[in-house]
Amino acid sequence: MFYIIKKEIETYFTTPFGFIFMGIFLILSGLTFTISNLLGGNGDLLGMFGLLANISFMTFPILTMRQYSEERKAGTEHLLISSRLSLTDIVLGKYIAALAVFLLTLAATGVYAVIIMIYGAPNIGGLLASYLGFFLFGGAMIAVCGFIASFAENQVTAAIASFGLLFLLVMLSSFSKSVEVPVLKEALSALAISERYDVFVRGVFEPGPVSYYICYAAVFVFLTVMNLKRRRLL
Amino acid sequence: MITVKNLTKYYGGKIGVENVSFHIEKGEIVGMLGPNGAGKSTIMRMLASHMLPTSGEITINGVDILSAPENTKAVVGYLPEIPPLYMDMSVQRYLEFLSQIRRIPRDKRVPHIAQAMEFANISDVRHRLIRNLSKGYRQRVGIAQALIGRPEVLIFDEPTVGLDPKQIAEVRSLIEKLRKDHTILLSSHILSEIRMTCERVLIINRGRLLADDTFSRLSDDKTPRYCVHLKCDIETARKALMSIPGVLRAEPAEKPDIPGCAKVFITIASDDALDRLSAELALRKIPLYELKRDAKTLEEVFLSIISQPEVNDAPVAEGA
Repeated sequence: MFYIIKKEIETYFTTPFGFIFMGIFLILSGLTFTISNLLGGNGDLLGMFGLLANISFMTFPILTMRQYSEERKAGTEHLLISSRLSLTDIVLGKYIAALAVFLLTLAATGVYAVIIMIYGAPNIGGLLASYLGFFLFGGAMIAVCGFIASFAENQVTAAIASFGLLFLLVMLSSFSKSVEVPVLKEALSALAISERYDVFVRGVFEPGPVSYYICYAAVFVFLTVMNLKRRRLL
Repeated sequence: MITVKNLTKYYGGKIGVENVSFHIEKGEIVGMLGPNGAGKSTIMRMLASHMLPTSGEITINGVDILSAPENTKAVVGYLPEIPPLYMDMSVQRYLEFLSQIRRIPRDKRVPHIAQAMEFANISDVRHRLIRNLSKGYRQRVGIAQALIGRPEVLIFDEPTVGLDPKQIAEVRSLIEKLRKDHTILLSSHILSEIRMTCERVLIINRGRLLADDTFSRLSDDKTPRYCVHLKCDIETARKALMSIPGVLRAEPAEKPDIPGCAKVFITIASDDALDRLSAELALRKIPLYELKRDAKTLEEVFLSIISQPEVNDAPVAEGA
């Protein structure tokens, strides 16, 4: 699996995709930092991450849009399948590589934390909780986008479909609050990807939301493996 | 080495490959011939574990590829019609990556890659990005790719398609070099291509195996045809030839090759008819100018096989 991760990370930076993702993400985080902290005068990054969570979902499809469609187009998907790698290795390798690029980008926003620490007195625990929360939140979104990308034959379809689904999952949070039908309300709430993120925005670290996002990602990674298995049978 | 039994593949209810069975011995070089869309690539993909069959059995070295895919993956090297290349990698990095995912021991990777590159004659472009290579070079990188892991069986799907004559000759000579230590199955829709490299041919059409034989036996005619030139008018020639016992058919041809003669094609039941032919013609005082065997060309054999009427004319899936 290590070789897949290495190859995928290399591809992010030999093609423009890694740079585009990093660029757009950093522009968005810069904007939210400016609005929430520089102009708003907040002494911590909680507001910035709260705002970023609502707009950053549009950047994750950039990380996953070429993951499977490019391999399919070039015929290299079969190269991977017929190698000694298992489908789980392939899917997990691609997922971890995307996660690594996201982590690297997130690490770059550490500059804001340093600025805040110089000019303010943030709660370090709260700061770490919001970083961890945002990483888990992003990880779940990347898994959803990877799943959608595993169906697509071309990059544009993968990007648009992932964007659409993420938008829906983010919107579900407010939608589920207005639904009063008992079982449906719980089901929608479980799917609403940003609902449990609010805990991290308050700077609180709780095992519930942490395991929720890890499970969310695991389910979609599993579904991606299943989809590749199904495609091989076609 | 490779045994295929009742291999069948359906694509969403449509037949891609139906009940194909054949056996390839170790060290054989076999060609798979058929028109575009016949099902050649589908069979090859299933042999290379790229696709699972709907039903049937594939055993390589006595091991069923469905029950032990890990063991057979290492034995088969496959070059699809479009070489599977990472355009953003250099040739060296690409082969390195393949040696890693094919689990070649770390200490053996460097000499292994060097050997494959040398064999495919791509050592001079090792540091270039694959996207900047010509089609012929890309095909050679594809062949080098199939050799990584030293598989015993090589499957090449239309290895010369889209190449210029010089590149075709280069790829053909590479295959020629490989035949010494490998069992090779290669496909083409061009007959001369297969004839130049293979001893045995599998003819596929509409997902079915129509013939499995050597070239010499395929073109061996059970009821031989001869071309006869006689110095007389065409009707006399035809009547005279038909009167000879053992001549089944006499078909006059339009343009004789020898001026002033009648050209007639005869089909005979056995060589006895030939023994009597000159004597019978001499009795009738018809001069015999030429008698030669008119063997069916391989093209004719191939066309007659693939145009056999279908028993059950089921639609064939696209892209097969």
